[in-house]
Amino acid sequence: MRLPKFEYFEPETLEEALRLLAEWRERVCVLAGGTDVLVKMRNGRLKPGAVIALERISSLNGIGFDLRKGLTIGAGAKLSDVTSHPDILRYYPAIARAARVMANVQVRNMGTIGGNLCNAAPSAENAPPLMALGAVVTAASLEEERRITLDDFFRGPGLTAMKPEEIMTSIFVPTPPANSGASYQRISARCGVDIAAVSVGAMIMIEDTVCREVRIALGAVAPVPMRALSAEAFLKEKVWSEEFLREAARISADESRPISDVRASLEFRKQMVAVMTQRALEEAYGRAIKR
Amino acid sequence: MTAASIKEKQSLIGTSVPRIGVDGKLNGKALFSNDVAPKNSLWVKALRSELAHAKIESIDIKDALNTPGCVAILTAQDIPGNNSFGIINKDQPLLAGSKVRFVGDPVALAVAISEDVAELALSKIHVTYTELASIFDPEESLAPGSPFIHEKGNLLGKRLIKKGAPELAFEKADVIIERTYQTTCLEHAYLEPDAGYAYFDSDGKIVIYASTQNPHYDQADVASLLGLEADRVRIIQTNTGGGFGSKLDLNTQGFLGLACYLLKKPVRMVFSREEAFLCTSKRHPLKIKYKSAASKDGRLLAIDVKIMGDTGAYASYGLAVVSRSAIHATGPYEVPNVSIESVFAYTNNPIAGAMRGFGVPQVAFAHESQMDLLAEALGVSPLEIRRRNALRLGSTTATKQELTASVGIQTCIEAIAPHYEAIRNKTNSKDSKKLKGVGLGCMMYGIGNTGTQNPSTAQVELQSNGGIVLYSGAADIGQGSSTVLIQIVATELGVGAEKITLVNADTGLTTSAGATSASRQTYISGNAALDAARKLKEAILTEAATMLKANRKKLYMKNGNVLDSSGVDSSVSFEQIANKAKREGRPLKWQGFFDPDTTPLDPETGQGKPYATFAFAAQIAEVEVDILTAEVTVKKIIAAHDVGKAINPESVKGQIYGGAAMGLGFALMEEFIPGKTVSLKDYHIPTFSDMPPVECLIIEEPEPTGPFGAKGVGEPALIPTAPAILNAIADALGSRIYSLPANLERVMKAIHSGASKMKFRLNQ
Repeated sequence: MRLPKFEYFEPETLEEALRLLAEWRERVCVLAGGTDVLVKMRNGRLKPGAVIALERISSLNGIGFDLRKGLTIGAGAKLSDVTSHPDILRYYPAIARAARVMANVQVRNMGTIGGNLCNAAPSAENAPPLMALGAVVTAASLEEERRITLDDFFRGPGLTAMKPEEIMTSIFVPTPPANSGASYQRISARCGVDIAAVSVGAMIMIEDTVCREVRIALGAVAPVPMRALSAEAFLKEKVWSEEFLREAARISADESRPISDVRASLEFRKQMVAVMTQRALEEAYGRAIKR
Repeated sequence: MTAASIKEKQSLIGTSVPRIGVDGKLNGKALFSNDVAPKNSLWVKALRSELAHAKIESIDIKDALNTPGCVAILTAQDIPGNNSFGIINKDQPLLAGSKVRFVGDPVALAVAISEDVAELALSKIHVTYTELASIFDPEESLAPGSPFIHEKGNLLGKRLIKKGAPELAFEKADVIIERTYQTTCLEHAYLEPDAGYAYFDSDGKIVIYASTQNPHYDQADVASLLGLEADRVRIIQTNTGGGFGSKLDLNTQGFLGLACYLLKKPVRMVFSREEAFLCTSKRHPLKIKYKSAASKDGRLLAIDVKIMGDTGAYASYGLAVVSRSAIHATGPYEVPNVSIESVFAYTNNPIAGAMRGFGVPQVAFAHESQMDLLAEALGVSPLEIRRRNALRLGSTTATKQELTASVGIQTCIEAIAPHYEAIRNKTNSKDSKKLKGVGLGCMMYGIGNTGTQNPSTAQVELQSNGGIVLYSGAADIGQGSSTVLIQIVATELGVGAEKITLVNADTGLTTSAGATSASRQTYISGNAALDAARKLKEAILTEAATMLKANRKKLYMKNGNVLDSSGVDSSVSFEQIANKAKREGRPLKWQGFFDPDTTPLDPETGQGKPYATFAFAAQIAEVEVDILTAEVTVKKIIAAHDVGKAINPESVKGQIYGGAAMGLGFALMEEFIPGKTVSLKDYHIPTFSDMPPVECLIIEEPEPTGPFGAKGVGEPALIPTAPAILNAIADALGSRIYSLPANLERVMKAIHSGASKMKFRLNQ
């Protein structure tokens, strides 16, 4: 089926986009890459009166890094730009990996990191590593600009904390603390071009073999990407050991809330939360002690 | 130089002539049905049942007809001819009349000025159904008291094969292995969803251009649906983006013919990927109960095999799969005592039809698992047990067919043996969480249709400009038959491939070559083309002998000329010959024919000669299994295939690469679940990153009845891969999987049961 009729706008400034958004309200759909929106429009699940494409707003597309503050990724940055950015590769390898293992070349060349987050799929690949690294997104409306931590961002499948009049402008990730490391792990039913059945992002900071900080985020195992808070609490302030690592992985599996679907059963997903959590923590630890 | 050595030098046989049309496919310029449909065509769309089994009480089309731009709504009562089609059993209505039998059964067509209007009109058709009890399991379907899906009952067909005295052999056996294997429904997932267009030509014929692998069958069934003589319908195959068996059925052709015939206007139709998934045929899911007996020296004594197949709502090619799965249940092994029963039932599942291998990939999974289990029980290597039992010259098959030539299975096994031993000697590192395994898969495959006539015809014509035209009904769907046919004719006539013009797969210009299926076009249509070329060659030489006043036996052909090898410096060109013959009214268009030597199988014992020749293969898969995640990585596939003669080696390799990919999907990930795997998003086929390197070893045990010794490779390419992968997983884990696909969860179960046998430690 071909696309139904709709108005199409390509604003060149954020302000113009926000004005259009305020004007059209809920009858509008924001296009940030289109790899999800266009599919939904084609099969009739989305019938917007107007589409606002953000691609021409250059202020949304940049990626900037400041060692003292952190990384700012424009919400409109293409996934392929995220995977190849030298600072991201060097300081945030877990973020680069998540953007690289998802979808395929064609989708990564079109899809944006902001689009992936705003689409709010439970399996959104970029969410777990960004959550693990304490990312904060900025949402702008004509009235104000506000910051939302990624922990508070997801509200349900396809639902976010953003208001209808807001557009996500950027994602900020603080500079990783000294002695820290992060990792992203995932499993899917085949090697490539499939949605993750389970994914895990983890960040830890190690001081004198003691785990001072730990953040674990799980994807595709709950209605929204979720933090494994019990596992984090268990590991915090513990002396790093194989045994604790296994226990943390087990706790993380316990607190996940997956469903059974065509990709994997509930039981298999829980099992994989443990394996992926352990692998993510191991890799994060390896990176932390190398720093 | 002798005539023989010149011929040798000019032969295109065994050379990888570039595929006809390959440039357009590579650079994206090749045009397919939907690209070339006339702009003024009306669009045809089908309304499909959302119920699996229901009586149609009424179809209200009033609202739909009022849709602006909607030209017609067609239902079963508009069909002028016989509203039932099918290649073997005519049990499928073009549009359901009294009831629907699966989710996707078409009940009405909308014909409109655009695709959108056609869809809108479809949404306004109101069908009133009374739901009937549905059956999704073949055994349940055949149980007493089950509701009938078809008036004749739910049994599609049965094939029995009896040889020797299996009961006695089982009593005397040293080892008996009995297991049950289950395979699933698969989608072909060809690149190009079905498409076509139709119009009336100036002679009043309906011309249908379609993506098809079966033009002459299409012609007969479309004509029957319309109540016309066959010659009122002309089918022309367009570029076809794959078929794998599903495009043997009427997918768009019947709808196009009906709409064009009734409306007298050009019409077009194209399936979305979702529609192709929903309504085209699938691979039969088979449940195979397999019992094998062997002596302690590792010789097969007997097998007892019971196959239960689910053919879905309509027969399509189901009966072919009933027989072929039974005949091939022994695998490429000599089994003295055999009892095989193959029974297929209708259900309300998707139609299962032809899919690359016709049931043999499924039974190969079973017989190859059995061979490894026997080897394990007897303490011999998987390689050795296959060597001891593999067919050889003089062996008889399950149907008591004696194999008198071109039995390459032993050669295939010996070709892979050193590779197999080398991989086996790689050991797992002690604490590795990734276990390595290696597995073997062997197969045989009968070329051509089973125990029935399946002739091919072709014509070769010398034109007055000296050019040669080859007419063949064979549809090239990407597998390369057009190139192979040209190579055969060019070689026989001593010209380059570029001198041959091919006219093919057009029922208006060519005679039937049969279906592009059963790996038959190289062997059968290749022979028909060769026969035609030989006759033309004789005619040309006779003309030349008169013109040159030479001894005919001393003449030979080279580069479009006939030359005299007796030292006289004289020659005459094809053009001169053609002009003379034309002036004098002699024809230079000759017909070739070939029908393989087969006999029908006895209905009680299954004895007979179902195929004139068999292809053989042995493959190795090397895998690595992550025991924590159950991920299986296939590291390498080595494939030895006895093709008789590789007329175009690169094409043979192309088939093997593609077959290995399809086999890997069958082994590890593909499973069609109606309503759940509605598109490629959820139905997984292997991607490049899933594929290992594939090494091809081409084995040539010449087939005396084949064109230049050739047999076929299209389906054989796929068959050994899944068994090899499953045997490799079992080798890695010490625990076996009996249901396909070996997805993450099944592999995880096998890991746990393997670990419980203390083969490896699973603790993290």
